[in-house]
Amino acid sequence: MEAHHPFDLRGKVIVVTGASSGIGRQCAISCSRVGAKVILIARNEVRLGETLSLMDHSHHRILPMDLTEAAETEEKLAALKDLGGIHGVIHSAGISTTLPLRNISEDKLSNFFKTNVNASINLTRLLTRPGYAAKEGASVVFITSVMGVVGEAGKTLYSLTKGALVAGAKSLALELAPKKVRVNCVSPGVVVTPMSSSAVYSQDEASLEKIRSYHPLGLGEPEDVANACVFLLSDASRWITGTNLMVDGGYTAR
Amino acid sequence: MKDKFIESFKEALEIDRPITMSDKFRDYDEWNSLGRLSLIANLDDQFDVTIEDEVFQKLITVEDLFNEVAKRAAAKN
Ligand SMILES: NC(=O)c1ccc[n+]([C@@H]2O[C@H](COP(=O)([O-])OP(=O)(O)OC[C@H]3O[C@@H](n4cnc5c(N)ncnc54)[C@H](OP(=O)(O)O)[C@@H]3O)[C@@H](O)[C@H]2O)c1
Repeated sequence: MEAHHPFDLRGKVIVVTGASSGIGRQCAISCSRVGAKVILIARNEVRLGETLSLMDHSHHRILPMDLTEAAETEEKLAALKDLGGIHGVIHSAGISTTLPLRNISEDKLSNFFKTNVNASINLTRLLTRPGYAAKEGASVVFITSVMGVVGEAGKTLYSLTKGALVAGAKSLALELAPKKVRVNCVSPGVVVTPMSSSAVYSQDEASLEKIRSYHPLGLGEPEDVANACVFLLSDASRWITGTNLMVDGGYTAR
Repeated sequence: MKDKFIESFKEALEIDRPITMSDKFRDYDEWNSLGRLSLIANLDDQFDVTIEDEVFQKLITVEDLFNEVAKRAAAKN
């Protein structure tokens, strides 16, 4: 048998949310390339199927669900019980906006928290129960954002939710360490995906140029984020928990 | 609908005085990128209307904007 390489994911079961698009889709593909068996989660079944068709190997599984529906999520995730254990989670499902303070209503606040925060905690709670997380340990990665650490006009609502996850990941890391579950965040700068292409700063060349200038290494590609996630899922990072890895082309270096 | 539109428009730009339909809204001191974002959000939330950037660029007066919103809102019903 070949020696086990610390960066490979062969034999591991990895749950990827937001797998129907952008960063989550690339995470699913990248995990498959390094040998993982991937469970793909998002609402859009057709787009999940498209992701599946881009992956290596055929042992993966689609599990369509709306993560904001706590009861539905619990029911659907039951299919993962006694699979032999989940070794990792990349939680990329999320929503974004640029909205001035004057528009931040109670409704908008609760809607954003529901998707970006409540769903994340619910998912983590469900997947770390006995019978779900692998006995030998598991790694949970939240895709947060540079906006959880630094600010920008119009980003309050989004920042609140991403900052909440960055903060929560530390306490989760401490609480789950006895179960050998590691919890980390990956905070991307602007990555070229359907989310960033539909953002207001992509609507005209001047705004886009300004955003580009914030990234000394240029805008990111989904692979840049996926590779960081693969590292955090692999045994190579087994001593890393409670951190927030900035994957931002230098955005927060200044 | 016109009154509702003007209220929403003034709220988005944080304008606290009477305005005229013939005003060129980009000339207002209050017109800036955040005001524009707020306007986009209000039109979406309150009128279920989204205006593409190319079309928006051609709207000059408050009246132009109102007409475009009214036309699009009517097309929805
Ligand atoms: N792109 C960037 O520049 C950037 C920068 C920093 C951080 N991020 C973060 O990275 C993550 C992924 O972003 P992205 O650019 O890949 O965005 P994206 O292309 O819009 O993908 C978002 C994903 O989330 C899923 N999703 C949303 N709401 C869901 C729900 N209620 N239940 C289940 N799935 C849901 C969507 O799937 P369905 O619609 O099929 O449900 C989709 O797969 C997000 O958390 C985002 O905040 C992105």
